[in-house]
Amino acid sequence: MERQPVSSSNLSSVGYDADSQTLEIEFDNGSVYQYFDVPQVTFDGLLTASSPGTLFHEQIRGLYRYARL
Amino acid sequence: MTVDPSLLGVVQDVSGATVSVALDELTRSGLLFVEGQPYHVAQVGGFVRIPHGFTDLVGIVSEAGAGAVPERLVESNPFGRMWLTVQLVGEGSRGRVFSRGISLLPSVGDQVHIMTESDLAVVYGQTDSPSRVRIGKVASASSIPALLDIDALVARHSAVVGTTGAGKSTTVVRILEGLTDSGRYPSARVLVFDIHGEYGSSLREQARTFRVEADGRTAAPLYVPYWALSFEELLPLTFGQLPDDSSLGAVRDEIVRLKRDALKSYPRDGVDLEDITVDTPVPFSIHQLWFNLHRLVNATHTVGPTQQTIETEALQRNPDDSPVESGDPINVIPPLYVGATQAAGVDKVYLSGSALNVRRQVDALASRLRDRRLDFLFRPGPWAPALDGGVELDLDRFLLNWLGGEHTVSILDLSGVPTTVLTDLVGSLTRVIYDALFWARYLSEGGRERPLLFVFEEAHAYLGQSRSHSVKTAVQRVVKEGRKYGIGAMIVSQRPSEVDATILSQCGTVVAMRLANSADRGHVVSAVADNLAGVLSMLPILRTGEAIVVGEAVPLPMRVMIDLPQYLPESTDPPVVGMDAPGGWDRNREPSDYGDVVSRWRSQDPRSARLVGNTASEKTPTDNVSKD
Repeated sequence: MERQPVSSSNLSSVGYDADSQTLEIEFDNGSVYQYFDVPQVTFDGLLTASSPGTLFHEQIRGLYRYARL
Repeated sequence: MTVDPSLLGVVQDVSGATVSVALDELTRSGLLFVEGQPYHVAQVGGFVRIPHGFTDLVGIVSEAGAGAVPERLVESNPFGRMWLTVQLVGEGSRGRVFSRGISLLPSVGDQVHIMTESDLAVVYGQTDSPSRVRIGKVASASSIPALLDIDALVARHSAVVGTTGAGKSTTVVRILEGLTDSGRYPSARVLVFDIHGEYGSSLREQARTFRVEADGRTAAPLYVPYWALSFEELLPLTFGQLPDDSSLGAVRDEIVRLKRDALKSYPRDGVDLEDITVDTPVPFSIHQLWFNLHRLVNATHTVGPTQQTIETEALQRNPDDSPVESGDPINVIPPLYVGATQAAGVDKVYLSGSALNVRRQVDALASRLRDRRLDFLFRPGPWAPALDGGVELDLDRFLLNWLGGEHTVSILDLSGVPTTVLTDLVGSLTRVIYDALFWARYLSEGGRERPLLFVFEEAHAYLGQSRSHSVKTAVQRVVKEGRKYGIGAMIVSQRPSEVDATILSQCGTVVAMRLANSADRGHVVSAVADNLAGVLSMLPILRTGEAIVVGEAVPLPMRVMIDLPQYLPESTDPPVVGMDAPGGWDRNREPSDYGDVVSRWRSQDPRSARLVGNTASEKTPTDNVSKD
């Protein structure tokens, strides 16, 4: 999956697969996770948010099932 | 007269390499200032310098205070002056390279000085040499990089020991990262026995991982061609114990016969038909071996024991005279025979006349051949022989894969290997690779020209003190003789007291992390060559990520703060409170899918089937375990 860099304290890049609604997040320590069934709007939010880290914390973490790549 | 500010005291007593030093009055404060830098006086583990003629003797403080007063002076010196006990370790001089060993002992009255940071830099800091690799920084002087001598580290073997959570895996990753720096050592060669599958991701850039049931994405499939193993190694993996010499002989003869037949059909370079032995690494079909032995001991015959041949076997037959089941070696299906009868007559069916008492062992082999978890061994992909011994790929491709690929590190992820065969497998693989490199010692592929470093992770699990085992024999051979053929070993363990003492004592360099258990500490101290018990007394109080390095790869014992590697190993503690990480107890619970959990377990692959982004993961999880 293609990822785009984001400026954040703990996320380093994010990507999205619209067909399966899968959001891919690379963290600063290099680990990559995929979140399942995430709506497109959340991904768009990550790209535009002034603090993607806060958005991750509030709207992704603990809400969607995920797995490590 | 001005006093040299680094002066500590004078030598009062010399007994071998142990020197007693009476501290100077000026050191009362416990702190010395040299060139504006503060230095602690009388720190156990600190270094001192004793100028002696043209050379400087270097020693380590092993004891300080009242306990260090020489015995015969105890009466006259109850209090007052402080004493140090110093262990001499080497000598050097400004502008000359430091060397271990002492040519002259100090005299009584010689001055003893503290080693300043610039003195230490001379001893430790031979930075520009291509054979030095950085693993961290010296704990007492953080401006000095901690360098290991790669020649001694690889060829003279090493041990990395430390309690769980002391930073062992991180240290191993950091050392391997340094050893396989693609800019400096593009032809490095490391083979890691990774028992828990934790190194693949942290060495992802320079390593290729081989794993049982691999998905092809993060790892290549792990195949071990059983026919490359020696008879001794094959036995515990196949039959278990054979009861007596005659059955051993019979099985051995049958293997030789199969290997010879295979070689007739598929001649191979370097081996003649006459020279073949049971240990010659040429393909033969173990399925055919099982089938032949099964028929030998289980078949019933239409004639008496003396006349029995394959043609006289009494197979069960359908009304149209075709056999009900004539057997299938590859799928491990035995033929069906008519039961033996008691009554004499034309129709009498006789038991097999074979005197071999191996029925149980042959059945055990059959059940192992059917065990799908052992397919990596008995059906090793392109190295799986057909019934006539023909293989798609020979051992050259096997060795190329592990030892000669583009990557400098090969990780054998053994996390999916059943524990019953794990120990034997590590031993056999060590022996196979050792043999290959031993016989290649004059070739550019061989160990002398391109040394190999074995990393034995979790060594206490299979290199135990009491066990006499193929794996111990194989690893002992590596540590005793490997040096001559360019084969080194790194023994990694959290329980050094459970690692065979012979193996540990052969490790020229010891990287000791925090060790709380006194038995473990004793084992490490006794394995260390130098007179360094004093330095190692700090083992229980080391910080996480801190190590004491002693031995051949370092000029002096060194307390090191290990650098963090680029990617941390997976064995780092999981965050219970995640904060910025995805997991942790402090998050709301997302929807769960324990179906995925079970399918991961069944497929023995930790990567979720839901992951998208590549073809390998998009297959649906397979729930059917039976093959037929």
